[in-house]
Amino acid sequence: MSEKQDVLMKDAEDVSSHNDSVDAIVKEIEASFVLLSKAASSFDNRYVSKVFRDLGPLRRKLVTNKSVLPLVINRLYPSAHGNKLYLLKALDATETDERMDVDEKEEAVASANASTPEVELYLHLLVQVSLLDQNELEKVNALNDNIIQLMKLYNRRSLDFIQAKIWFFISRTKELLNDLLSIRSELLSSLRTATLRHDTETTASIITLLLRNYLLSHDISQASNLVEKTDFPENAGNALVARYYYYLARINAIQLDYSSAHECVIAAIRKAPQTHLANGFIQSATKLSIIIELLMGDIPELKVFKKQSGSFEAYFNVTKAVKLGDLNLFGEVLNKYEDLFKKDDNFTLVSRLRQNVIKTGIRIISLSYSKISLKDICIKLHLDSEESTEYIVSKAIRDGVIEASINHQKGYMQSKELLDVYSTKLPQNEFDQRIKFCLSLHNDSVKSMRYPSDNDNKDDASKDDSKEDEIDLLKAIEEGDLDDFMD
Amino acid sequence: MTLVSAAPYLALLGEEDTSLKAYALTSLNDVVDQLWAEIANSITDLEELFEDSSFEKRSLAALVISKVYYNLGDFEASVRYSLYAGDEFNIEEQSQYIETIVSQCINLYNSSSQKKFLDSSVSIDPRLTAIFEKMLEKCIKANELRLALGISLESYRLDIVEAILGQQIKENEENALALINYVLICSNTVISNTQFRTKVLNTLIKLLLSLKSQDFFTIVKIIVQLNDASLATELFKELVTKKEALIAYQASFDLVNTAPQQLLDTVIDDLTELSKSSSNLDGVNGTTHTSNDAPSTIIKKILLILSGIPSSDLDSTFLYTNNNTDISILNRTKNLLEGRSSIFHSAVTFANAFMHAGTTDDSFFRKNLEWLGRATNWSKFSATAALGVIHKGNLSQGRNILKPYLPGSSGAPHTKGGSLFALGLIYAGHGREIVDYLKSYIDEHGNSAGSNDTDVMLHGAALGAGVAGMASRSESLYESLKVVLYSDSAVSGQAAGLAMGLVMLGSGNEQAVNDMLTYAQETQHENIIRGLAIGIALLNYGREGKADAVIDKLMEQESSILRYGGTFTISLAYAGTGNNGAIKKLLHYAVSDPSDDVRRAAVMGLGFLLIRDYTAAPQIVELLSQSHNPHVRYGTALALGISCAGRAYSPAIEVLEPLTKDPVDFVRQGALMASAMILIQQNEFAYPKVKDFTKQYADTVKNKHEDALAKFGATLAQGIIDAGGRNVTIHLENAQTNTLNIKAIVGLTVFAQSWYWFPLAHFLSLSFAPTSIIGVRGDLKAPKFELNCHAKPELFQYPPKVEETKEKQPDKIATAVLSTTARAKTRAKKKLSKKSEGESASKVKDEDKIEVDEEPEKALEKASDKSEKETPAEKDESKETKEQKSNEPAPIRYSKTPFKINNLSRVLPIQSNYVSFIKEDERFVPVRKFRGASGVIVLEDTKPDEEAEIIKTVRQLNTTEAPIPEAFTLSEEDLKELEDD
Repeated sequence: MSEKQDVLMKDAEDVSSHNDSVDAIVKEIEASFVLLSKAASSFDNRYVSKVFRDLGPLRRKLVTNKSVLPLVINRLYPSAHGNKLYLLKALDATETDERMDVDEKEEAVASANASTPEVELYLHLLVQVSLLDQNELEKVNALNDNIIQLMKLYNRRSLDFIQAKIWFFISRTKELLNDLLSIRSELLSSLRTATLRHDTETTASIITLLLRNYLLSHDISQASNLVEKTDFPENAGNALVARYYYYLARINAIQLDYSSAHECVIAAIRKAPQTHLANGFIQSATKLSIIIELLMGDIPELKVFKKQSGSFEAYFNVTKAVKLGDLNLFGEVLNKYEDLFKKDDNFTLVSRLRQNVIKTGIRIISLSYSKISLKDICIKLHLDSEESTEYIVSKAIRDGVIEASINHQKGYMQSKELLDVYSTKLPQNEFDQRIKFCLSLHNDSVKSMRYPSDNDNKDDASKDDSKEDEIDLLKAIEEGDLDDFMD
Repeated sequence: MTLVSAAPYLALLGEEDTSLKAYALTSLNDVVDQLWAEIANSITDLEELFEDSSFEKRSLAALVISKVYYNLGDFEASVRYSLYAGDEFNIEEQSQYIETIVSQCINLYNSSSQKKFLDSSVSIDPRLTAIFEKMLEKCIKANELRLALGISLESYRLDIVEAILGQQIKENEENALALINYVLICSNTVISNTQFRTKVLNTLIKLLLSLKSQDFFTIVKIIVQLNDASLATELFKELVTKKEALIAYQASFDLVNTAPQQLLDTVIDDLTELSKSSSNLDGVNGTTHTSNDAPSTIIKKILLILSGIPSSDLDSTFLYTNNNTDISILNRTKNLLEGRSSIFHSAVTFANAFMHAGTTDDSFFRKNLEWLGRATNWSKFSATAALGVIHKGNLSQGRNILKPYLPGSSGAPHTKGGSLFALGLIYAGHGREIVDYLKSYIDEHGNSAGSNDTDVMLHGAALGAGVAGMASRSESLYESLKVVLYSDSAVSGQAAGLAMGLVMLGSGNEQAVNDMLTYAQETQHENIIRGLAIGIALLNYGREGKADAVIDKLMEQESSILRYGGTFTISLAYAGTGNNGAIKKLLHYAVSDPSDDVRRAAVMGLGFLLIRDYTAAPQIVELLSQSHNPHVRYGTALALGISCAGRAYSPAIEVLEPLTKDPVDFVRQGALMASAMILIQQNEFAYPKVKDFTKQYADTVKNKHEDALAKFGATLAQGIIDAGGRNVTIHLENAQTNTLNIKAIVGLTVFAQSWYWFPLAHFLSLSFAPTSIIGVRGDLKAPKFELNCHAKPELFQYPPKVEETKEKQPDKIATAVLSTTARAKTRAKKKLSKKSEGESASKVKDEDKIEVDEEPEKALEKASDKSEKETPAEKDESKETKEQKSNEPAPIRYSKTPFKINNLSRVLPIQSNYVSFIKEDERFVPVRKFRGASGVIVLEDTKPDEEAEIIKTVRQLNTTEAPIPEAFTLSEEDLKELEDD
């Protein structure tokens, strides 16, 4: 999934103009420092999310303007600061003093900011990200150790968001280095720390990272153990929740629990931000959902393939094979697209579809014929023997795929009359489910509303300020936490 | 580290061989932090292992289980198993796991230990205790004694507290004393269980007495909190035998100031007996009675002080000599409100009473006899009672002043009733001499209640007896009042119910509560029910948890008046504790009770609860202040007024400000009164907003279209903010002893009842406490000397007097015009004189010359004076505008150059921290280490032979009175002096 998103991101990068001067970027970064200090002093993490909203575009700019970060570091830290040295080393830059003399005032302001851990960590994050974008994996890896040590020093709730993000990139680095095991214990211990401190953002982030880590190394049972034993924080950011559900769906699917896997994958798609930034995620989630649906014996609707951008050709063909119940076609498709499925990590799941192809075949037959001999079924489905056909059909009957009975003496299958769905309780249940969903949606939105406090009515001047801030923040929340999906 | 799965080790657990199992466990212990999720699946295997008593490494199994549970977030189970782990669980290890578990252990221990205190059948795991004690030891070793004390107090481990303090006493007494004080503060603020608190205090007394250098003042503090008369007597005995006369005097002054009457009565009784026996002793020893150090004289003096006479005398002297009332405010209000209706008449009466409270200055009445004559019925009652407020504390003369109005005179019944009430107010809290008189009156007429005239008088007598006998817990007085109550007359019954509560204040007397509640349910008169309801509330003052049964009973009543009483019971029972449960209850009733009265009272009650944490009050009531229900808004206003009284706390004012412009009249009334209570004694330098508020009071009174109720509130506010000649404040907490000022709280409670019955507004005077510094020598005389005050003087000045009227200015201008006409005149006269040049004219001419010379000069001077005066005024204004922008209270800074203040002068509560004794002039040294205290301070005269100028007290000025005998048996010097007078 991530590789594709990287490609996508690089496309976007070309779009962003190169004409941003170094100064402008430095100013932008320093503006975000101010916001971070504000977040620290007002205990309002919304300021941090505002900073993160601009992180995506900033990343792109940083890749093209490599001189920016050393400059910022030089300005932020007093000379010969320990952190400064290793940061600069990581960036292959040297300590310079040129800017410091130019405007001492600004420097003073900046160094005052440096004292807040928020700013310091954010800067580390920027360095980390830009190195990652330049594919300097070894350097990032070295830097990460420093960052982990730094993070352990602080226990502040205003750092939660930044820490969550930093952990993400640390884990990402390890992943790219193909070194999945070494990071686990760090992750687990910081997960414990985060839960003890009620740091929901980091907790949520680390849980997803661990799941990803386990899944990548195919430690499904460990992953499911983790899911069972931890409570995913309820009020974590939407992006994280979506990711969590995606991994959950994957685990459940592999563990043959298709119906809950289906629920999870649908939740993941719904929770994911509906912008182009999250395309990669939605694509892989959709692929998973197609396969899970097929495994459940349903056929996805055609619009699923057409709606999204990206290539669903392979999955479309698989679906076609399942729908037709044509084992030959299925085999061909599987051969043809094997590499693609393996790349998507869906090959195991797709292989399981063979049974489903047969089942669909049986279902089509049972719908078309009220009575058919097992031998005919055997021929139609290209099965090995009449006996195995009998087994397969009886399994299908037991699984509720078809409503039929087998006459073993005479060797034929007798279909039952179809029931009218509306005479059952099924629609009622479905309706009930939907109403529940709507109600919970309503309740959630009521809960997440914010009201301006009346206390501010004394000082009008500051009120205007805060109003603007408020609007900005609301925007940030709306566009919300998207940049998570850009890697 | 690179282990991916714990499965191999888990599999080993199933082996038969115990060494394999042990190996598996050791390995699991290493990887449990990484693979806990997997290990958790086989937690039952581990538990089985642990349960297997033949297995050697059981404790290791427990440790692994504990760690797994810890990772699972189930701390309770984790703690349980960590205890089983025994030695494997290493407290010294530095890890998050150990830290978390240990803190969980301590929490668990605290809660179970608290349970154990209440119910001794609860058993605590000895291992838990071990961990707890181990941690405490660590604490003590690291010399974090306060931390250790705090934790052990929280877990109700008095033995540890005692051990730590005992150890400290041996090592370092000074430090120990500081720690004892710390525990004292903790026990007041942290410990919610009254039973345990008493135990702690008793222990502290024991420890304090074991100190070599005894700190008697801390002991006094504890005695007051314990309300234990026998301890007090013990203390005095000890002091007398040690001949620490001055300390004993200071202690008795403190006691008078803070202790309830009943405690004082018992102590006095005990000491009187002692003095009898000790005088015998003196006789045996052959020492002379006149010697100042003789135990008998010391005891006599202590008794005198405990009677409350000297302190009342000193207070009223202070208020009398420093009286700085701005009578023009009152006059103007009187003129604006004159004669409209009795509500305004009462309002002015109350404002007058408050402004002159305790000053003995009743000139306003004397100057406005005609206005006074317009009082009818109950406003007459209030007006007469106002005399009591004005003469409050004037114990020597009180009765004489009221003589013309008391029963037996030819006055109207309302005057007589009012005077009986007034009598009670004068002797409020020191009512020994007067209670009998009032009681006899009640006894005589108690049965004839019901007839109109006696009813009014009984009303006054009952109120008076209640105030005078407050907290005396006198059974006989209670019974007399009950007779009045049972005659079932609305007017006298209400007062009787209230008075019964006052007499039995804080006793929680079950019999009394039952009597009152039963009668309240029987009677038809709402007034009586209300009186009884408040009475019950007063009875349960400070009872905290013990009052819960009564509260529940009252709150489930159908009668809203009884529920109203119930809310007051909550607020008084938990007054000043900030108890969360009580706050929750009150908030619940404040928003959900169907009766407006109950809701109002519930919100008001929050004010009483938050007396100590007054900074929290504005936050808590802020939302309520925006309620749609005006009664709730009124309640918020008073709640703020009560909790922040005398503190000039600006967030409270910010919440109140919109309420002063409320659309509903009585909300404005409440907000105005509350703001005055908060801003009492402030001037515009220290708190710029005061000016706006005083202006608002005046404007509200002046505004023709303003509603009567708001005007009433504004007038009262004028009285409150300038109360007692501006020398009193509302003190709800005694700074000296950290106890609540019961009198003041009762005063506010009953004042709040003036919503239904105006005359009860006089009760507010009980809350006024003089803000003075009074230095007293061993002979109880106040010498003249000076003190330093290290701050800017203007911060503590009296507010400027309101300028009379502006109509006078044109007159001055007229004189300026006159000078030219004078010149013209002189010219004319010169002409005349030239013309006539007679002998007789020569004299005239001389005079004229003088006039000619002088008048223009004078005019010039005046003009220049004016311009000079104007410019600073303008400057002031510009300054003020600047200040108003900020509108924040000016911060007080320590200034190195002090200004001097005299003995017996006004010292604001915030000012007292900046007051110090002058070091160079060491004649008078306070007995107690001076820490910015106010009130009566006993001084040691280091040069007793030198003549000192003595400030004469009111009592000494009025020597024509027949004094109470004891006052004159002080010493022979005293007697001589009196004879000279």
